[in-house]
Amino acid sequence: MPDSLSAYLAILLMAAVTLLTRALGPLIMARVAVSKRVEHFLEALSSSVLAAIVATALFQGGPREATAVAIAGAVMLLTRKSIAAMGAGMAAAALWSLFID
Amino acid sequence: MIPMSSSSPGLNTASFTAEGVLKGARTLFPFAIFLTPVGIAFGAAATETGLPPLQALLTSGTVFAGAAQFAALDLWQVPLPYLSIALVVLAVNARMIILGAALSPWINALPVHKRVLAILLLTDANFADSYAFLKRGGLDVGRLLGGGIIIWIMWMAGTTAGIFSGSLIGNPQTYGIDVVMVSFFAAFLIGDLRSGSSIFPIIVSCIVAIATLDVLPTGWNIIAAALAGGITGVIRHAR
Repeated sequence: MPDSLSAYLAILLMAAVTLLTRALGPLIMARVAVSKRVEHFLEALSSSVLAAIVATALFQGGPREATAVAIAGAVMLLTRKSIAAMGAGMAAAALWSLFID
Repeated sequence: MIPMSSSSPGLNTASFTAEGVLKGARTLFPFAIFLTPVGIAFGAAATETGLPPLQALLTSGTVFAGAAQFAALDLWQVPLPYLSIALVVLAVNARMIILGAALSPWINALPVHKRVLAILLLTDANFADSYAFLKRGGLDVGRLLGGGIIIWIMWMAGTTAGIFSGSLIGNPQTYGIDVVMVSFFAAFLIGDLRSGSSIFPIIVSCIVAIATLDVLPTGWNIIAAALAGGITGVIRHAR
């Protein structure tokens, strides 16, 4: 195991790098003139990043994950409640693990 | 709609109040509960790697980014590879630059000290909640911090439980906990589409994310996909 001084240094380093990534978006955008074009870019960016996370997870997962997300999506369409959608997705995945594999 | 063009520079189009913080915490409370098992998994993995309880807790408390924390554990050895750790954490968390940029029209309308508070506990989940809220015309960026605080509390509670009893908890797949995050994000996307956003950037982003998954280092396919989606948004409006 690393000695504690090195370990605390590494933790500090991780915290600093992470804080930088949290701060960098607004810092960069404060120096960019917000034109209509930049607005459209940011608006598409926000849904694109979450879509990319979902697509990657589904591609790496199997039918269980795909079914869970499909059910979450259907519940969101019906109820417009994202927490309800999340619960339905979880329940679907749990039932799949219980009964299918 | 991002309410930026309608305001002159220096004019506050965003607020940051205690009520907003409370509202964010309350809204994300159910979500945060389901994140606890992931914290438990981290606490257990950290203990298994050999981190003393204080180091594991300090990591969860100050880094507060699940994927990056797990990735760093893989590199925990003597001597500690500082550069690799920094680069891996940067790669896994680089998408937060994009989340912050998307929220920047509201965050940058705040005074500097409130901007720091706003981004301090930014994660995917409170981003999704706050972005949807602000896009609906909400102005209180306190919601972002509030969501972050409740997730942080549950993350720390989970880490603590994992350190001291990790091996007692079974496989999170049994309870469907592994799909919490994707289900929540899928719901966000449906809500976004219903409120009139274009589907084209989302389609392009999904295609690029999958196409570049095996080509780019871990996590960077998300960045490439998000940028491609953003550019699609610009091109659609330019025509």
